[in-house]
Amino acid sequence: MRQTLAIFVDAYRELNSKKLFWIVLSLSFLIVLVCGAVGIDAHGLTFLKWSLNFGPNTGIMSKEFFYKQVLFTGLGIKFWLSWLATILALVSTAGMIPDFISGGSIDVVLAKPVGRLRLFLTKYLAGLLFVALQVLVFAVAAFVLIGIRAGVWEPRLLLAVPLVVSFFSYLYCICALLGLLTRSGIASLLLTMLIWGACFLITTAEVGVVTGKAFNDQRVELLEKGITRKQKEVADLEGRQDKGAAAVMTGAIQLPIAKKSLEGLEAKRTDALWWQTFFRRMDTSAFIVKTVLPKLSETTDLLDRSLLSEKDRRDFTDDNADTPEIITSDDPDARVDAKKVRRQVIQHKMTQPIGWIIGTSLGFEFVVLGICCWIFCRRDF
Amino acid sequence: MNAPGPILNAPIPLAGPAAATLSDLALDLHGVSKTYSGRFGSKKVHALREIDMRVHRGEIFGLLGPNGAGKSTLVKILMTVIRPTSCRGLMLGKPVGDKNALRRVGYLPEHHRFPEYLTASQLLDYFGALSDVPRAVRRMRSAELLELVGLATWSKHKVKGFSKGMRQRLGIANALMMDPELVVLDEPTDGVDPVGRRDIRGILTTLRDQGRTVFLNSHLLSELEMVCTRVAILVQGRVSAQGSIDELTRDSRRYEIEVGPPVGMGDQTPAHVFLPGALSGVSKLEPVSEIAAPPMAPPMSAGANGSAAIVAPAAMVIRGTTNTGIPLTIDRFGIRVGSDDATAVQPLIDALRAKGITIRAVRPVRESLEDLFMKAVMDPTTGKEYKPGAADVKP
Repeated sequence: MRQTLAIFVDAYRELNSKKLFWIVLSLSFLIVLVCGAVGIDAHGLTFLKWSLNFGPNTGIMSKEFFYKQVLFTGLGIKFWLSWLATILALVSTAGMIPDFISGGSIDVVLAKPVGRLRLFLTKYLAGLLFVALQVLVFAVAAFVLIGIRAGVWEPRLLLAVPLVVSFFSYLYCICALLGLLTRSGIASLLLTMLIWGACFLITTAEVGVVTGKAFNDQRVELLEKGITRKQKEVADLEGRQDKGAAAVMTGAIQLPIAKKSLEGLEAKRTDALWWQTFFRRMDTSAFIVKTVLPKLSETTDLLDRSLLSEKDRRDFTDDNADTPEIITSDDPDARVDAKKVRRQVIQHKMTQPIGWIIGTSLGFEFVVLGICCWIFCRRDF
Repeated sequence: MNAPGPILNAPIPLAGPAAATLSDLALDLHGVSKTYSGRFGSKKVHALREIDMRVHRGEIFGLLGPNGAGKSTLVKILMTVIRPTSCRGLMLGKPVGDKNALRRVGYLPEHHRFPEYLTASQLLDYFGALSDVPRAVRRMRSAELLELVGLATWSKHKVKGFSKGMRQRLGIANALMMDPELVVLDEPTDGVDPVGRRDIRGILTTLRDQGRTVFLNSHLLSELEMVCTRVAILVQGRVSAQGSIDELTRDSRRYEIEVGPPVGMGDQTPAHVFLPGALSGVSKLEPVSEIAAPPMAPPMSAGANGSAAIVAPAAMVIRGTTNTGIPLTIDRFGIRVGSDDATAVQPLIDALRAKGITIRAVRPVRESLEDLFMKAVMDPTTGKEYKPGAADVKP
């Protein structure tokens, strides 16, 4: 325990010696203070005591929603801590493992009566200290501020600490592995950013696939309905041949048009079915790829799921009857409701099992750390 | 640096009755080998090959060898920085690699890099904690050790601002932090000024006097010679020689008598011209066709005339034995007597004085550590220095 504590204290001293650590911490404080100064009233945004008379107002969203979702989750967690502060944290910590294993440094440490496995894992956890301290300070400050400003004392805000630390740890384990392999802080930082970028692209592509799938499913459904309708119309027109001359006349004119229209719809359905199969396959592939990779944005999105009330969720997904449908399609036979597509995409996001998101991500981290430990324990320094 | 404080004045405590049964070997290595496997078609490198080495408790043991001989590899294996290919050794009675044994071992690596953001006292505290030294002991000991290595006034300064010599002193303090029974120092005087080196030598002898064992790896042969009880010379991953300096130089011990020509003979007359005649009553001599041994120092210029019974060319040496069978070699500067027994030299001196030969110096001589080292790194078959680095073998 004494040895483990010593490594943590040393990690803190190392962070303490880095200017970037204090810069990021100061910025976190500043962001919390600025967020605390901003508010909303019936007329719009407010800054301290001044009403700005524009932007969201209490008629659109509650103060609680504004502080919790817009400022804390949207700006603080998803923008600041999940992007900018994470990049700065990676810049600060990418060199920790390469420095630790550099010649002359590692010799002294390995000669101590501490097992290599324990040494590496402790050092790795100490590397997470940067983000843990940052997010802890941020979340506690936000908790107090939202309590004071919105009158809502929401302890679930502190869930940001484990979630953001987990999010960072998925990246940091990659960084640690690359640091072990390349022995270079810069190389491990750049490669980690590259992998992060790749994960982001895959997530974006997955959203695209889910959107395409939802869009196409709706299109198929609409086309099916259209075909059924058209088939009835054709049957109706064909039935008129047994009736009066006028009806036969009308049927004779309209029947070829209806049949052609039916053929057109069927061709569109065939096309839509092909795309449906394609998107389903892509969706399965995306699921497999995502299962293997760490769920970065999904992990921080869990905060949304935790903080959103049922009403907020409905507002958030436009899932109420009052809002008009938005029709967006050039195809008159399959006028896809974009609101419904969006709702399905959000629904997909919001209903992903938490166990899958956290479990598979931690599984990824476990595997990467296992490789790190294997390399560290076997390497001759 | 200052005189050793109480921490270094304290002898190593023995662990009760069991202590009497402890081996007197701090290190007992057998068959230590390290082979770096060739990857991607590169050659295998045998950094160490079947090293057998014994280091007694309470001695200063020096490890010598040319660059790439495997010295640092051996030290790193002992300190678990490198995993051996094979090793049947014991360190402080525990198998090499046993982490618990490392609680009693202090280590100063070569080219160490300490965290620059720590102050001197924080550094000692950190590494002391890693060695599982209790906090109160760490505080007390770090102050004493910084005092010992002359860095007491620098205890609150960050390592970042330390010179190389200061870092080395700090490294030595760090190696002593856990009150070690065995101290392994890899180039401890690297970058240290002459005064600092003398101080470090003082610390090493103090450690030895307290019964601690010091394992020293250094290139500075003269310094090792001053403090080491025993040495081992590694060449191309093998132990070329091992033992006390006395043992290793026993065969080379001799007396040298530097002489000048008798009155009436030219000052430049070489000794091998007039010595055979002078020593004819006390020795049996015969000329040798080539020089087989280096000339005595200091060199003297030599002439080429004389009237001795056995006359040798200027570039030749004469070999023989005394009447008591002790080997003799005569060259142009004097006589080399193959014995470290002073009584064996007396009849020769008497004979020389009787012939009026000037005796300039009589001195006992033995090979220096440097001579030993140079002999060890020479390939006897080619007469050339061994190729630097470890021997490599095709995969």
